[in-house]
Amino acid sequence: MSLRTFVLCLTASFGIAWLAIIVIPFFEMRELAPVPYPEAKSTSAGIFFPKRTGRVMTGARVYAENGCYQCHTQLVRPTYAGNDLYRPDWGGLKMDPDRGDTRRETNAWDFNGEKFAQIGTTRMGPDLSNLGRRLETSDGSSADPAAWLYAHLYNPRNNPKLWNSTCPPHPFLFEKREVKEYRAPDALAVNVGENMEIVPGPDAKALVSYLISLKKDHPVPAALNFTPAEK
Amino acid sequence: MSNSNDYPEIKAPARAGADGHVPRDAAACAREKNIAATGKEPVSVYVIAACGVAMLAAGAILGSAGNLFDYGKVFRDGYKRTPAPGANEGPPPKAAVDAYMAKGKKVWGSKCITCHGPEAKGDGNNFPSLVGSAWALGETERFSMIVLNGLHGPMSTGKTYSGAAGMPTQNPNKDMTPEELSGVMTYVRNNFGNTKGDVVTVEMAKAAFEISAKRSKAGQQVTTEELTADHLKALPGKIIDPKAMVDPLTLNPVFAGKKAEAPVIAPPPAK
Amino acid sequence: MSSATTNTQDALVRSGIDRSLRHPVMFFLMSGAVWLSFALLLGVIASVKTSSPGFLGHCGFLTYGRVYPAHINALVYGWGMQTAFAVILWLMARLTRRECTMTGAILTAGHVWNLTIGLGLIGILSGFGTGMPWMEFPPFAWPVLLASYCVILVGPFIQFRVRPEERGNIAQWYLLAAVIWFPWIYLTANVLLHCVPGHPVMGAAINAWFRSALIFLFFTPVALGTASYLAPKVTGNPLYSDSLAKLGFWSLAIIGPWAGMQKLTGAPIPYFLPYLGGAATALFFIPALAAAVNTIRTIWPSREVLTVSPTLRFTLAGMVALVLLGVAAVILNLPDSMLPATQFSFSGYGFEILALYGFFGFVMFGATYFIVPRVTCREWISRRLIRWHFLFSLYGILTIIFVTLIGGYQQGLGQESWSLPWMKAVDAGVSIAVVITFAWCLILFSNIFFFLHLTLMWLRLGRRGSQPTLLACSPGNLGPAASGPATAH
Repeated sequence: MSLRTFVLCLTASFGIAWLAIIVIPFFEMRELAPVPYPEAKSTSAGIFFPKRTGRVMTGARVYAENGCYQCHTQLVRPTYAGNDLYRPDWGGLKMDPDRGDTRRETNAWDFNGEKFAQIGTTRMGPDLSNLGRRLETSDGSSADPAAWLYAHLYNPRNNPKLWNSTCPPHPFLFEKREVKEYRAPDALAVNVGENMEIVPGPDAKALVSYLISLKKDHPVPAALNFTPAEK
Repeated sequence: MSNSNDYPEIKAPARAGADGHVPRDAAACAREKNIAATGKEPVSVYVIAACGVAMLAAGAILGSAGNLFDYGKVFRDGYKRTPAPGANEGPPPKAAVDAYMAKGKKVWGSKCITCHGPEAKGDGNNFPSLVGSAWALGETERFSMIVLNGLHGPMSTGKTYSGAAGMPTQNPNKDMTPEELSGVMTYVRNNFGNTKGDVVTVEMAKAAFEISAKRSKAGQQVTTEELTADHLKALPGKIIDPKAMVDPLTLNPVFAGKKAEAPVIAPPPAK
Repeated sequence: MSSATTNTQDALVRSGIDRSLRHPVMFFLMSGAVWLSFALLLGVIASVKTSSPGFLGHCGFLTYGRVYPAHINALVYGWGMQTAFAVILWLMARLTRRECTMTGAILTAGHVWNLTIGLGLIGILSGFGTGMPWMEFPPFAWPVLLASYCVILVGPFIQFRVRPEERGNIAQWYLLAAVIWFPWIYLTANVLLHCVPGHPVMGAAINAWFRSALIFLFFTPVALGTASYLAPKVTGNPLYSDSLAKLGFWSLAIIGPWAGMQKLTGAPIPYFLPYLGGAATALFFIPALAAAVNTIRTIWPSREVLTVSPTLRFTLAGMVALVLLGVAAVILNLPDSMLPATQFSFSGYGFEILALYGFFGFVMFGATYFIVPRVTCREWISRRLIRWHFLFSLYGILTIIFVTLIGGYQQGLGQESWSLPWMKAVDAGVSIAVVITFAWCLILFSNIFFFLHLTLMWLRLGRRGSQPTLLACSPGNLGPAASGPATAH
């Protein structure tokens, strides 16, 4: 076989796959057509575009730099691909006090504002798609989700309920400093000696802001609503 | 591949001895074997069979792929969530009065609290108090007309309040749904020190909407005269036991256990 | 066509080729060994942290989320790629029977490669990683690495005038293909993820494809090419079947590029993509089985050589790992029964390590034990060191394979038990983590021997002699002082 034929065959065998599964979907998904609500609730926002508050870009960067994606996923799979939707607080809340069952699959607009969706590689920790929602309604954290997260990031095993957590401590995201006239409002409830306190550093604040913004249970238009029909 | 004369640009170094011995540096190369031409054995049938099994597995995987190269579809065709095996879906049922009051509390907090105050005591001059109010606690139809259409002029106590232009009207289905109306009415009747003990149901609220729409002065506020003349009765609808279990979201009755029907109580005697 | 024994001219030609390659090949093998030790050390630290998160917890440089990416990037780019460079260069020079004339450029590019890897790893550990699995080097690294690659491999391939000879060894096909595939894959992934703005979930899908393509379309063909050369070379038997070899090659070429996106099953990308990726990964069984059967049947008639030749032993172990890899590829990707449980469990990690170390690594070790004596004109010093390298690596990788593939499935089942609280699923993973740590320690231990041994050889402190260092007394030898053509390797 001549070199030319060989390279041609190789190019064809690789190139067809490359076009079909990489290039075409990449460029098609750049221009995802927004899904309209046929039953527009208000005239201005007639399309599904979930908004995210919080420091999404900076926080996502801190998330990536510290490798949170190695143990946490952000993907709620449809029921044909996994049991994520059956958990009471992963895809949303099973018993949201206002809306009832808000659990839903992850859809293509859930990562708005991020450059690279941190879908994740393994699940050594729980899925984080709805961490913000989960913290708001869960007993230990609903009073102050940010404080719970700061305490968790500082040392997860400090929480007696998570005594066997494999999440690593991140004390380097925090600063240890002297108490000034009064303790800082976001100082952690950790004893580090006389007159010293632990406060979150800028990376911790960005990360926590990002984590609290993780609420992917917005109501979806009919095209993305896969609840089985009411009987 | 064994004849180096094919590649004249590589000259054998001059050190080769006549007796075939090579310097020790080339000893490792000297003991190497030549690579023989590749054999011509056929592909064994066992290999083909094993590959066939793998192809079956791959085919099964592809079977789940739906239409190949359909870039527009992100979810499986016709996907609807399969319910969790053996689990109850939805929030647990609540007693009717609690469910209605929970709903009404939200409506109160968004619509009524600004004028009537957090304790429903009003402010004495501009907005009336609803605590122990005869009209709030009396016939449901009168109360519903007030909520839906707003009110101006003298109250049940006889006093006239001067707050703004009177109570605002509620556009049916735009400003208030039947669930919200029934909820807020139940809430007022059972909260702030009021203990009426009954539940205004969604069915009654829907009837209220119809009555309100059929008023001769539909769209305008009611007046005391109209209330006394036309609406001094209970809203039509089945009365339910305040403790009956309902679904907190839809406010529909839920039949717990094996009871055939929710208990029905005879309507109280008309006032 | 040729006699089984070598004539003097051949030996001198070969030794001339080897001499020309001494510096590049030893540089890449040594660098690879250094990065391997470093990567294994980081791997042990990361592994300990999966069961005891507080281990070295105060140190930001060593938090799990940074140490694990550093480990995997050092393993893939520091050790894997550089060992591949060494073996590819030597094999291509030998197969085309040309000396290397670009050694200066290659060495420079090699130093640049090492420097970039070093800076990249410092970047990851300092918290500047990009957050894309297997592509965590800060964005400055990839253009430099790609340019170095072109100097290291593409240049020499042109200089060697590599051709896919019809009646030559299939190794040339595999190596040529690998050298062409890598830049295409690497450029695609990095350009689409760093330079062209796109949809975030599609970016994750392309990253998943990249990881799979790097294994199937670079490390696999390099290892297969090497094995296809070493097995006939060491045993003297012809490669068993030409049709099986071609089947293996072309099935890999056709199937490989489609695999990878099964890691994103259920994600909001076009629905068919993950299932296509899963099917292609399952079909990887075909080239795996074809090449493994070919090589094993080449070795089988001379299996007594396995007792003495380290090269053959490592190569055969690599082929067995390849068969396991093929079987795992089928089982892990069955969509309704296995994939939901294994998608986010240790099983994926086990698959990658089986491919990188069990299959590619062992074949590369076999090649190293063959190449280094020829290139340095010294023999290996101690058969005990070789034996320990083999045994401890074997025990370690077997442990990792079985614990991650089987235990990973258990872990996945725990994750899928939605009615139990999450912390119960965590418990299932902890015992696995401890065993994996132990296995990595075994592998690190074995590679300390390898590193020491290779360093001594690099420093030309190897044994001067004309008899090879074999794992046992050769069956055909008349004794250590025998001269004349030896029948064993």
